[in-house]
Amino acid sequence: MTVPVNPLREGLRLARTPDPAAVVIFGGSGDLTSRKLMPALYDLAHLRQLPAAFTIIGAARGAMSDEAFRAEMHDAVAAFSRHRPLNEEVWGSFASRLRYVSTGGTGGYDELKHALEASDAEHGTGGNRLFYLATPPAAYAPIVRSLAQGGAARGGGWSRVVVEKPFGRDLASAHALTEALFEVFLEREIFRIDHYLGKETVQNILVHRFANGIFEPLWNRQYVDHVQITVAESLGVEERAGYYEQAGAIRDIVQNHLLQLLTLVAMEPPAAFDADAVREEKVKVLRALRPVAAADVAARTARGQYGAGFVDGDRVLAYRRELGVAPDSETESYAALVCYVDNWRWEGTPFYLRTGKRLPKRATEITVQFRIAPHQVFSREASAGLEPNALVIRVQPEEGISLKIGAKVPVQGVRIRSVNMDFSYGASFVVDSPDAYETLLLDALRGDATLFTRRDEVEQQWSFIDPIVEGWAAGSAPLGTYDAGTWGPVEADLLLARDGRTWRKP
Amino acid sequence: MAQAVADWGVPAKGVAAIERELARLRRERQREGRASRARSSVLDLIVFATREVHARRAAASIAELSRRHPSRAVIVLADRDAPSEPEAALTVRCDVPAPADRHELCYEQVLVRARGPIEPRIASAVIPLLVSDLPVFLWWTGTPPTGAHHFTQLAGASSRVIVDSADFARAEATLPRIAALCTAGRGRYGVTDLSWTRLTAWRELVAQLFDVADFRPYLAGVTGLRASYAVDVDGRQSHPSQALLLFGWLGSRLGWSPAEPLSSSEAGGHLFRARRVGGEPFPVRLRPHYERDLAPGDLSGVRLEAAAGGRHAMFDVDRVDREHVCVRVAIAGHPVLERVHVLPPPGVVELLGEELTIMASDPAYEEALAAAVSLG
Repeated sequence: MTVPVNPLREGLRLARTPDPAAVVIFGGSGDLTSRKLMPALYDLAHLRQLPAAFTIIGAARGAMSDEAFRAEMHDAVAAFSRHRPLNEEVWGSFASRLRYVSTGGTGGYDELKHALEASDAEHGTGGNRLFYLATPPAAYAPIVRSLAQGGAARGGGWSRVVVEKPFGRDLASAHALTEALFEVFLEREIFRIDHYLGKETVQNILVHRFANGIFEPLWNRQYVDHVQITVAESLGVEERAGYYEQAGAIRDIVQNHLLQLLTLVAMEPPAAFDADAVREEKVKVLRALRPVAAADVAARTARGQYGAGFVDGDRVLAYRRELGVAPDSETESYAALVCYVDNWRWEGTPFYLRTGKRLPKRATEITVQFRIAPHQVFSREASAGLEPNALVIRVQPEEGISLKIGAKVPVQGVRIRSVNMDFSYGASFVVDSPDAYETLLLDALRGDATLFTRRDEVEQQWSFIDPIVEGWAAGSAPLGTYDAGTWGPVEADLLLARDGRTWRKP
Repeated sequence: MAQAVADWGVPAKGVAAIERELARLRRERQREGRASRARSSVLDLIVFATREVHARRAAASIAELSRRHPSRAVIVLADRDAPSEPEAALTVRCDVPAPADRHELCYEQVLVRARGPIEPRIASAVIPLLVSDLPVFLWWTGTPPTGAHHFTQLAGASSRVIVDSADFARAEATLPRIAALCTAGRGRYGVTDLSWTRLTAWRELVAQLFDVADFRPYLAGVTGLRASYAVDVDGRQSHPSQALLLFGWLGSRLGWSPAEPLSSSEAGGHLFRARRVGGEPFPVRLRPHYERDLAPGDLSGVRLEAAAGGRHAMFDVDRVDREHVCVRVAIAGHPVLERVHVLPPPGVVELLGEELTIMASDPAYEEALAAAVSLG
């Protein structure tokens, strides 16, 4: 007898726990697995949010025993979990469902298939499989093919594959990657991670816009002067020089995170908060982005690379002196661009995007600057201290929203000054926000793709970025420099100065 | 005693004076760098206590809770039998308690101390003190006098009434009154019981088991339920409300009805039979059990026995120690699943915190309560 739904679920307060499943992590011995994925899975187990029947298989090329893998993961989780110190009892029952399979030798994928079948038989995982590709991108296609050839891709339940960024390095490679995944999986089974979308405050942008009635009427070209989106990092290139040298700021941040933030700010209200409705509206924004023609690259973009300087009071090296960076590297550590969303709502409203490493502080924020009042009732002297209204959505740190409004200074006569009305999430809700990976893993296990990027989104993003990269390669918008610990190259300031505007200081 | 009164804050008379005093205290705390500048209240909480010790305990819980739910709390201490005050008297004190670390949130506390026979006047003193336009929660410490005028008035001003049946002297006798309260409040305020909140994690763990498709058929073939709950060492105080609500929850979800009324068993618990739709009666045992580290009434184990497809299965959720519970499934005598979870018994602060996130009534609770009460 089959009982289709669990009658005990109704009215429970926790969000639905996912179906029983086996998770296979490729790149099981890698950094992402030990720093993010395994700690996030353990944290979910700690919060009782994993299904009762659940197994994890680490897969990588090297040989390793289950015991050695568990020991390695134990230390990783002990170091990076949100719930420290590690609870050995919980770890014990978590680890008893942890296995390792080496896919390096011949027969590796047969062994994986057997491990998955054993998981279904012994642990009741029901043939549901989540494959997580936490490997370098070059390995994605071979892994997926081997999965299919070895018969491990499907087990009678659902199968899903989670793909880490970067998803390609241009339109052609992203397209080829999707085609390779399509040999085995359907689009609705492919979950492309942009971990920014897993952040609480990023999801809050949608709540802010669409759960409140008072902002949406102003959210258009008539009332908005321009929008600035900043993703600033104070860190340098750290240990990622090998990747970063090839990617630069434009592929590392602009193509994914910045364009995703832009879609959330600019999108039309979706009919529902579900995967297809939300992504449909997001991709419409990407389609409406005015392309950067070769001739416009210089006028609409700026790039820069950090020199030596000071961050947080410490002397830091120039980009070209960092470990693993070519001494004559032309890779940009800073990128800024002017975007236009050519649709009814946003025609002519500039969206200024910027990101950089070694900026003065870590800050991600979106500023919607409104137009000034149409007629100045008060004298020029009285309103000297008045700035245009601005709504700032701070994503990190100190998530919150502030609204800049003009107010009368309490003196005789009229003098107007701008004040900030500040709302900090931290001051209204003090809860530990879940880590982005916890949110996204749980969503993938539940099959909710709302916070994952769809094929057409990724390809639209690359179509927009590719001409900029080509323009830069041809020498347009030459690489500027900036001292570490400053707000980027002068070229970026000029980009806004042409429009009579300036960058906000977060 | 003078000290004991003073640490409730400064005295004030009249609503305007209290607001002024609270604003002054807020500024003072900010100047001292002991409170955040942001005052973003998300709720009003009325606490009703009849003994100072309960009021103090509540104040301490709310202060801790203010990390998650910045609020204004109006604590009503109604000391009806205070001998020194033959006349009805209301005094009000207010405070902005300084948080332990400066990043914590601003929380305002008002004490309304009522002496003598002042029930008719309490609501009129409390309602103007609430921050306007916020959800109001009423936390009634002790058994609620469901018919009394002052209770009805305060409940009517609230969106949610919170009680704790673990404090009731005889839960079996009081639960029907709470059920009546749910009915009375329908459409106006929701009712909840912290003993129900104590079951949240247990319900989740039991429900998760039946997300496994292979186990689900057993739900239609339950042959027995046993729920154990803690009692103190001499077993005199028995608080079966959590166990009753757990039975009520399973019964309401799975369509069980009592096959016979609730009766006491020899060991101080309850043994009766329930029946599922179109099925045979099966035994339900609510069993008191001495547990050193648990508060009386706390659940210590649940066992569901069931048959499906000719096989017998046992589903157990058991407390193994104060910090952990273990979930086990055995089919035809073979263990097929075993998991350990962290689950310390939640304190009042966590329980209250969870209830304060729910703004309306909780139909699952009301149905579980109705099913538990139907045992009569």
